[in-house]
Amino acid sequence: MEEHALQVRVFNVISQVMNIPVDQINEHSSPENIEQWDSLQHMNLILALEEELKIKFTDDELASMVNVDLILKALRSKNIS
Amino acid sequence: MKYSEIQNILNKADLKVLPKLNIVILRNIMIESMIPYIKYLALQIGFEAKIQLGEYDNIVQESLGFKKDLLAENTDSVLVFMKLDNLSWKLARNFASLNVKQIQEEIHRIRETIPHILNGIRKQTQGMILWHSFEIPLYPSLGISDNQHSHGQTGVIQELNNFLRESLAQYPNAYLVDLNLSLSRIGAKSFYDQRYWHIGRAPYSLDALSEIATENFKFLRPLKGKNKKCLILDCDNVLWGGIIGEDGLKGIKLGKTHPGSAYYEFQEEIVNLYNRGILIALCSKNNDPDVWDVFRNHPDMVLKDKNIVTSQINWEDKATNIRKIAAHLNIGLDSLVFADDSEFEINLVAQELPEVTVIHLPKEKSIEYKDILASCGFFDTLTISSEDRQRGEMYKAEGLRKELQIKTSDLSSYLKSLEMEVEIKFADDFTIPRIAQLTQKTNQFNLTTKRYSDADIKNLTVDKDTQVLNLRLIDKFGDSGIVGVCILKYKDEKAYLDSFLLSCRVLGRGVEDIFMIHALKLAQQRRCKTFIGEYLPTTKNMQAKDFLFNQGFDQSTISYDLTQTLRNEPSFFKKVDSVVNL
Repeated sequence: MEEHALQVRVFNVISQVMNIPVDQINEHSSPENIEQWDSLQHMNLILALEEELKIKFTDDELASMVNVDLILKALRSKNIS
Repeated sequence: MKYSEIQNILNKADLKVLPKLNIVILRNIMIESMIPYIKYLALQIGFEAKIQLGEYDNIVQESLGFKKDLLAENTDSVLVFMKLDNLSWKLARNFASLNVKQIQEEIHRIRETIPHILNGIRKQTQGMILWHSFEIPLYPSLGISDNQHSHGQTGVIQELNNFLRESLAQYPNAYLVDLNLSLSRIGAKSFYDQRYWHIGRAPYSLDALSEIATENFKFLRPLKGKNKKCLILDCDNVLWGGIIGEDGLKGIKLGKTHPGSAYYEFQEEIVNLYNRGILIALCSKNNDPDVWDVFRNHPDMVLKDKNIVTSQINWEDKATNIRKIAAHLNIGLDSLVFADDSEFEINLVAQELPEVTVIHLPKEKSIEYKDILASCGFFDTLTISSEDRQRGEMYKAEGLRKELQIKTSDLSSYLKSLEMEVEIKFADDFTIPRIAQLTQKTNQFNLTTKRYSDADIKNLTVDKDTQVLNLRLIDKFGDSGIVGVCILKYKDEKAYLDSFLLSCRVLGRGVEDIFMIHALKLAQQRRCKTFIGEYLPTTKNMQAKDFLFNQGFDQSTISYDLTQTLRNEPSFFKKVDSVVNL
């Protein structure tokens, strides 16, 4: 998938799960700068992303992808259609 | 629907204006991700779910009240998730290593814990308890030998589930939610998410959580009187394959072999709903005689004339026809489910009558019809009473009564010809469940719309300042069962009307008059001087608006002076058997 299109889909899911406007989300978003992003919302976000993009992360990937930048990196390695 | 879409709908909905559904979840696992599904399903029945989670693995402590303000009087439902793995790791995981004595000790410990928790919850709230059963292991510790006797791991867990079921049955308003059913439907590979089990003790996948939430709402919907009462069916490509007007009786697909077998089995599921008390109606664009020709003359019709409570078979638009069906049955549009193969009709009804729930049955998927209907969960009721089992017949009898009414021009001679017998009694153990059910689902002729559980009614019957009356009606067409409830509270020579309701199908026959006269008389016999009425308007009980005034209640004080002589009861009843002596 094209880089930009992927980013848009990821940002949309984050916006819906965290209930924040999509324009407040960027590559540097993380639990440090988004108040709603706690460990439970993180899990909900990952589950929603998996459903949206029809992929499965491994348990090791889950443990490592703790902000938007790392989530995008993990997704790029997965050849999403 | 996708998880993010559900969250998006919830983000945009104006939940604050909705009535609340207060849910407390006691759990020994992480189950937080289920919350959006619960909120979404609550929204669909017009509620905002207020969900409070107990602390992780604090079920016993919280059932004993250690966490303040968790369980409360206004709790609608307590969901208990006590997964065996975290209750007895040994039984769930290391069963093969245990000897008989150790197994017995574990069983004993669990069997002591469960009533302890139930008692504790009940001391704090009468809300509905929904306890999720223990899951049967996918790969029993003893392998294939496990199931060769009843005391293997599988047998032990089944026995614990039986114990759980029996324990819950001892409490009013407490039910077992069978997680193994949900597990089977989803399939274990999709049900569990091992990654989050290991990372955060969250065992269930999104698919599983969605299914579990759906299962819980089969209980919560009837708790709030939101279960559906009537299924309205299209005919062509729904009850049979093909179009009767074109393909003819011999050309339509219906029978015991493919492709007609899909429709045959679908009809069996419809009859199953009929036997549970769901009203079945037809709404089809057809020539009326063509449809009845199939009903009467096709050898493989499972559905019969007698199952159909009413029908609109004509060429008018379906929204109009569905309105007519609702009016004929005297039930609200939001009690109806409409199923059709045509996307056009489904969309039209969804748009014109948003209160009606629609089920689209795409004709290329006829083999799925049965499961679509069986899985929808709209029709579940908490108990199936004998009234439910006879409901179809009772409504059918109502149709006959209406025919008689047309033949008889003078109302009181018509009413007399019905040969009505009423029984007015105090609530007892046999009638309490039906009384609670009526308070939960009667919307139209209900003066105060107060909803009560079995336990609530039971408590009212033992309160010396309260009396709970029920009314049963029998006429020459059949026994309508208990169709009326009146709850009176007494204080300082005053009687207060807490609840007064009648099932709509018995209205207009003087039953409401005789019931009120007996209620007034009862209060008079308790030496009350005044009877205080109440009417709490809702969107649905407009027809009861003027009832009290028509009964002679004072317009400004909504009260009735009991020091005067009461008027006589109507003369057209054949027999009146009442706890109140007139």
